[in-house]
Amino acid sequence: MTAEISKKTSSGPVRNWFRGVLLDWDRTQMLICFLLVGLLALAPLFIHSTYYLGILILTAIYAFIGISWNIVAGFTGQLLIAQIIFLAAGAYTTIVLYNNFLVSPWVGILIAGLVAGLFGVVVAFITLRYGLKVDYFALFTIALMVALRTLFLKWKYVGGAVGMWFSLTDPAFDKMIFANKEPYLYIALGLVVIGLLVQYRIYRSKMGKYFLAIREDEDAAAALGVNTSLYKMLAVVIGAAMAGVGGGFYVMYVTFIEPPQVFNLGLNVEIVMAGPIIGGLGSIAGPLVGALLNKPFAEIMRGALTGGRSGSSLIVYGSFLVLTVMFMPRGVTGVLHVIYRWIIRRFTSEELGEDQNGPA
Amino acid sequence: MSPEIFFQIIVNGLFTGGIYALVAVGLTLIYGVMVIVNFAHGEFLMLGIYIAFLGNSLLGIDPYMIIPIALVLIFGLGALIQRGLVQRVLDAHPLNQIILLVGVGMLLVGLVQFFFSAEPKAIHVPYETAVISAFGLRFAIARLVAFFASMTISLLLYLFLHYTRIGKAIRAVSQSRDAARLMGINVNFIYYLTFGIGVAITAVAGVLLAPNHRMIPTMGQGYSVIAFVVVVLGTMGNFIGAFLGGLIIGVVEAFAGFYLGGDVKIIASMLIFILILLFRPAGLFGRKRA
Repeated sequence: MTAEISKKTSSGPVRNWFRGVLLDWDRTQMLICFLLVGLLALAPLFIHSTYYLGILILTAIYAFIGISWNIVAGFTGQLLIAQIIFLAAGAYTTIVLYNNFLVSPWVGILIAGLVAGLFGVVVAFITLRYGLKVDYFALFTIALMVALRTLFLKWKYVGGAVGMWFSLTDPAFDKMIFANKEPYLYIALGLVVIGLLVQYRIYRSKMGKYFLAIREDEDAAAALGVNTSLYKMLAVVIGAAMAGVGGGFYVMYVTFIEPPQVFNLGLNVEIVMAGPIIGGLGSIAGPLVGALLNKPFAEIMRGALTGGRSGSSLIVYGSFLVLTVMFMPRGVTGVLHVIYRWIIRRFTSEELGEDQNGPA
Repeated sequence: MSPEIFFQIIVNGLFTGGIYALVAVGLTLIYGVMVIVNFAHGEFLMLGIYIAFLGNSLLGIDPYMIIPIALVLIFGLGALIQRGLVQRVLDAHPLNQIILLVGVGMLLVGLVQFFFSAEPKAIHVPYETAVISAFGLRFAIARLVAFFASMTISLLLYLFLHYTRIGKAIRAVSQSRDAARLMGINVNFIYYLTFGIGVAITAVAGVLLAPNHRMIPTMGQGYSVIAFVVVVLGTMGNFIGAFLGGLIIGVVEAFAGFYLGGDVKIIASMLIFILILLFRPAGLFGRKRA
């Protein structure tokens, strides 16, 4: 009875839009994300300190790279722990192209995505060919990271142990060098928007459903006719290409790269894993929400609370990971979802579908 | 290569391998019983070496005297971590288990870095550079002690697992959790015990390294990776496999270090690791593909 009444009263374009977006949790998450991106875009109006703007830029980069990992680990449930190898591939590609071939970073970052994507094809092909799953897959990616670190330490062309410094010149748009921080923030936010849209398209597509099916039960998905190898590979390649693009922009922003810094599980947790996990792995808003929570908090811990004592950001990330797994395995977005469902139940008479977020 | 150098490399490799074996035995024990890869494993070795540092710098105790203290402390810590954290994710998605243990590892590194700073530290003992020569070979005392202590502890643990009631209960749980429970074994207690023992002997490996090894808070990661290599090589969950795997990897690294240089010797282990993962994921002692 009440359902009929609410349907009758809900006419008009605004109402329809309202119903179409707010009654759909996926779209609501996108709305939340765009509001957050909008807030970040307005931040330079209020924040003038380059230090704080720098934190926001890194937050946006982490969010974009978090999205790339969310597609692999969150959607298909593959334990691609050392995603940072693809970030490193993209970063090295961009900086080599710029320093040695004078390729504009705008182009270089796209090539970086391509190179990282191809690297993703190789990694996915090898692991699928030899049927590495779960823990073995995780260990394989870590071994690959350690091997690459050693290789890059000795590879003179990419700077060896010294690493590579981005040759800075006067500010120039085509070299992606700017006098102040704002342009970096807007490029990073642009990446986040693209990442969110790609992620959303995948999530809502047939491919996305296959991804989730693989995560929930790979054998069952295969039995139902899903080409699990193909879709697992696709997820890795998409994630790798995005991480490559993110790595390209990351190195343009931090201006240097060295093997021990980048082929490192600590940085891997900070850049790749912490955001999606804390925000809610497998959810749409997770990577952005998580990055917004953990990066600024880790910086505050490092700066204000402990007077720059080393180890404090590790303590923050470590305890965030532990607390998330223990108390909210679906992350902050999972908690938001519970609140959202309560509100929808309380104020409307809509039937909500089953929750399908997160591998928890 | 002269025979002296050849045998010297083997001796050095076995000395390093003894430590690897001890670390890997701890990891494989935990994996065998709980089917969980302890991604924070190396961090417990790091805790061991810092306990030795603390005891040595504050109280002036010889590192070897600290072994029992480290054993008890880290056993307690491990049992607590198992009881409070790991226990609750045993049936969760493997990704959650990895995230939890990676988080625990980061927390431990962060805490040590916070209190001891990231600067390298070292313990100074009178015998740190002492060497005995025999058969034309040179044996560093500290490493000789570490090797034989590792062997002894591994052997004791093996005897414990095979000839005591609790040891048999641990092996029973590793064979079948449900059957063990039906036989009246307190499975959760076995889990606390296993995690505690597994990380405690790893901490002992850290203490054994203390007399002639520089320490930094992030040193555990490298040992974690080596332990993964060894455990996969020797078949996940196989005690003797991990033990022999540790010695093998130690010797392989020693030769790689001789031919390639110390800073790239890890590439040899990684190559072996990747090949084993690809072509024989069940390891040297496994019967079929995992």
